Amino acid sequence: MKDVLKRIVFGKREKYWWMNALVPLISILLAFIVGAIFIKITGRSPVVAYKLLFGASGLFPGPYWKSHFAEMLLSSSMYIATGLGFAIAAKGGLFNIGAEGHFIVGGIAAAYLGYAKPFAGLPKFIHLPLIIVGVMLAGGIWGAIAGYLKAKRGIHEVITTIMLNWIALYLIEAWLVTGPMKAAVETGVSGTPYISLSAKLPKIFPPTRLNISIIIILAVTFLVWYLFYKTTFGYEIRTMGHTLIFGMEAPKAAGINVERRTIQTMFIAGAVAALGGAFMILGVLFQYPPIFEGGYGFDGIAVALIGQNEPLGVILAGILIGALRTGATTVQLAHIPKTFPSIIEGFTVAFIALQMLIRYWIMKFVMRKKKSIQSEMGGGAK
Amino acid sequence: MNSNIPFLNASIAQALDYTAPILFAALGGVMSENAGVVNIALEGMMRFAAFFGVWGSFVSGNAWVGLLWGVGIGIVLGALHAYITVKWAGDQIISGVAINVMAMGMVTYLLESIFRTTGYSPPVAYFGAPASKIHLTFLKGIPILGAFAELTILIWFALILVVVLHFVLYHTVLGLRIRAVGENPHAAETLGINVFKIKWFAVIAGSVLAAFGGLALSLGTLSSFTNSMAMGKGFIGLAAMIFGKWTPFGALGAILIFACAQVLQLFMQGTATGFAKLIPLGFYLSLPYMLTIGALIGVVGKAVGPASDGVPYKKES
Repeated sequence: MKDVLKRIVFGKREKYWWMNALVPLISILLAFIVGAIFIKITGRSPVVAYKLLFGASGLFPGPYWKSHFAEMLLSSSMYIATGLGFAIAAKGGLFNIGAEGHFIVGGIAAAYLGYAKPFAGLPKFIHLPLIIVGVMLAGGIWGAIAGYLKAKRGIHEVITTIMLNWIALYLIEAWLVTGPMKAAVETGVSGTPYISLSAKLPKIFPPTRLNISIIIILAVTFLVWYLFYKTTFGYEIRTMGHTLIFGMEAPKAAGINVERRTIQTMFIAGAVAALGGAFMILGVLFQYPPIFEGGYGFDGIAVALIGQNEPLGVILAGILIGALRTGATTVQLAHIPKTFPSIIEGFTVAFIALQMLIRYWIMKFVMRKKKSIQSEMGGGAK
Repeated sequence: MNSNIPFLNASIAQALDYTAPILFAALGGVMSENAGVVNIALEGMMRFAAFFGVWGSFVSGNAWVGLLWGVGIGIVLGALHAYITVKWAGDQIISGVAINVMAMGMVTYLLESIFRTTGYSPPVAYFGAPASKIHLTFLKGIPILGAFAELTILIWFALILVVVLHFVLYHTVLGLRIRAVGENPHAAETLGINVFKIKWFAVIAGSVLAAFGGLALSLGTLSSFTNSMAMGKGFIGLAAMIFGKWTPFGALGAILIFACAQVLQLFMQGTATGFAKLIPLGFYLSLPYMLTIGALIGVVGKAVGPASDGVPYKKES
């Protein structure tokens, strides 16, 4: 009875389904412990560091909480976008390293549509949706290239997405931004021209810079969840992901058009990750600068892995990484570089890669508990 | 005599300087992936080693000590990658991502806490100093060969390593075992090969080679660590390995093509005229990656990797 209830309430069919949530939690905890040891070894106080980190992360109320909270959600929305980009592809059994490329392709598309003449004069309620659609198309096409190469030519997507990241980076930074899209010299702006007022994302929490990006991405996350768990399309993609190790024979036998679904999955993944780049341009920078401080795409991989590729998990992990990055600006007070969260993030991902070991530990613990209960109950007999 | 010879030789020497770090990384990839373990952490390993090399050289004042430190961190990272992917059959890509992310955070952290600077370390003793270069004065003035007159020991090592690795992989028992494990580990196991041992060895050896790549950057080309290292060279190495069909000589050939594109690009920036001037810099920079995809599509010959590359090995019970 209890089992049936669990299946209905949680929708989980595995026996130890709770482990899927426990593994990331333990990984995060272990990573914080390793991080603390690392700080201690280099002669600083982990207590002070973590206090500063979380104090300014926006997760807990405190001085300047309002602005920290806004900054956290602002960056979280970008991490959730790139995290979803990875998670969507992962659901279909694809390993998408390309979120970094999709992010900047989305960024440059947003910048162009934001300042270019025919669009810049439009009213906001037409201009902004137009940009979002354009950005998703651009990112989607960039993603679909890798999907196409995988489906039609059988080239591993890890390799193509890494290559496409660099191609995007060089074509944008060493051609578009310094060439055809360069701002006029008289304006004194380096990088692309600034976007028009009608292209900026509306603010929702003045006086902070928080804008509707977080609402957009939460809505998109819901749509992704709906797509995967409530539609035939999503079911087919999940089938592909589950049977990946058997060479996709089962989905093919079931009549799924694996090639087309692969391209479509990569298109959606690219489109969603590109949104992150649009948030950056339309809500934070307002132009594409000559040198773009990236990394959101690669952090997105970590976000998705910590969130176990589930939409809800990606939101939580995105908020965690966003909070760490926001808090990191203040750890410099304790003479700790602001790249410190990367260490935590790196170790968390390493522990998730080691999940076989963590699962083994948990099982051992569970078995011992079970045994001790058994021996207590049947103590006399044995 | 032609006055272009010094210029030609200087260009080739420059190309070789560009080649060495990428070649080390590519050979590291060749080593690891022939045993069936994908290593996308080449970039992170190079970054770690580039920094540790400079640190060691800074502490001791001797570039060789720096080299040892770099090799040491290479062994540690290789052991970590092997522990996750071989011992616990963890996902090789995830492990690689973890090492790359760690390299970003940890090296910057160490750079700031040890040297108290943000962008770059102070200059240290390095292999590129005029006194520590290998001088073959008799080659000077000869076209092409003259480029080899004054190279760092690391460049020579990288070039010799191509031959050594080719010999090891294709003409020794160990090499046969490594390739057998990469192609079909279960078959190899039935022949009495210890699959786990071979994989551990190949991953650590590959990681040490990648570490040399980092050292060639910070102690060969430059004399200090800059925070932008390894500047994507690990990923170019990965591309070169694939473009070169997972073989040492193939990787060398691929990198020489990439290096030519690089030198051509530097040349074009200065003196190009006519049609070549119209091609923007971005196209030259992205050429190696486009060529790699081209190679994979089959435009430039089909690239096929070891059959069991990237598949975690679990013993059948």
